[in-house]
Amino acid sequence: MYQWDFAPVFAHWPLLAQGLVNTLKVTALSLSCGLVLGLMLALLRLSPRRWLSWPAGFVIEVFRTTPPLVQLFWFFFALPLIVGVEMTPLLAAVVTFSIQSAAFFAEVFRAGIVSIERGQWEGALAIGMSHRQALRRIVLPQAVTRMIPAFLERAIELMKTTTLVATIAYADLLFAANDIAQKTFRPLETFTVVALIYFVVIFGFSLLARRLERRLAVGGEATVH
Amino acid sequence: MRWDFSSVLANSDALLVGLVGTLRLFAICLVLGLGLGLVVGLGRYARRKWLYLPATAFVEFFRNTPVLVQILWFYFALPILVPFEISPLAAASLGISLNSAAFSAEIYRAGIQSIERGQWDAARALGMRWGQAMRRIILPQAIKRMLPALTNRAIEIFKMSTLASAVAYVELLQQGKLIASLNFNPIEAYTTVAVIFFVLLWPLVQFTYWMERRLKRDE
Repeated sequence: MYQWDFAPVFAHWPLLAQGLVNTLKVTALSLSCGLVLGLMLALLRLSPRRWLSWPAGFVIEVFRTTPPLVQLFWFFFALPLIVGVEMTPLLAAVVTFSIQSAAFFAEVFRAGIVSIERGQWEGALAIGMSHRQALRRIVLPQAVTRMIPAFLERAIELMKTTTLVATIAYADLLFAANDIAQKTFRPLETFTVVALIYFVVIFGFSLLARRLERRLAVGGEATVH
Repeated sequence: MRWDFSSVLANSDALLVGLVGTLRLFAICLVLGLGLGLVVGLGRYARRKWLYLPATAFVEFFRNTPVLVQILWFYFALPILVPFEISPLAAASLGISLNSAAFSAEIYRAGIQSIERGQWDAARALGMRWGQAMRRIILPQAIKRMLPALTNRAIEIFKMSTLASAVAYVELLQQGKLIASLNFNPIEAYTTVAVIFFVLLWPLVQFTYWMERRLKRDE
């Protein structure tokens, strides 16, 4: 019978803590860049000009269709040779996950904007707003409320996807697990502890998201996915 | 910077081996993931607590942990508990299948719940047992509504198969890595791998869009 012993794993708690901080850092950076980039992609995609909407559509399709790990390897190993700059694991991760989540966010933004009734646009234009003003002051504020559940779901997916950075040696929580397992010769305890840490953090966020979603649903707003 | 794909083409055998590995892992995880998902989904739908609670715990755990952590757990941690070796293929299959089972369980549950009560009542009134009603009346109708989401899951499984490279299972990305390190051509090698995935998955993605549109029109 195997003797479980968690003490050696917990002795390395600074590594675990630093790993968790780095995981949250990659998630937060990619999320904020992804949201901004996603809105830009969505607006380009909705443009009546083909030379704007087609390239945006192409980027969205490519990043939604190819595996995230392939994207990460491409940005880490191939892109630096093309553009001639050094790529750190953190930079490669943030660039990859920003564009990748932007591609998903763009579709959420687009569906949200399209879901706003024509009358809202017409009303805004009728009182003399420009297209851009109408979008910023009338349409987006209404659309964003409907999009919140889809955003939250995507943000949680993003946090899970960030574990891929361990494969390019960025010291996130999963990388810390590999490290500690090798130092302590206790892979069973280490990976179990790390899986549980991920579960607690991600499940916590999921519960918060569900609560927020229910609150919004009470307000009677439709949601988009 | 000059692109030169000849060194990738010269290694097309290696890529073919990788593609076979990817397809094998995909097939295993598709069958196990969607099959087990139906069992778990029915458990989530059940009224009996001893069915509902374990199914719910399973779904929550596997949906709320990263699939790469699951694969590495099966590869590095599980062998200590069991008296046999866990191969890279077994670890990857376990991780991806259980993860997909948790996600597809929710698809099945939502699909079954979307069928109106009247269908149940009518089936029961005709004297069908629960299992018969589920198999003959409810599931055939629910499957139609679930098809876009299930196809989406299949696409996700295909994409997830690349994670098996983390435990050195021979699949497309792993072979791309090998070619890149042997020929010093990461640009061409990784671009080729990305293009192969895009070409394989893009038609499937378009198919789900088409199904979603058709379903919306029908209802």
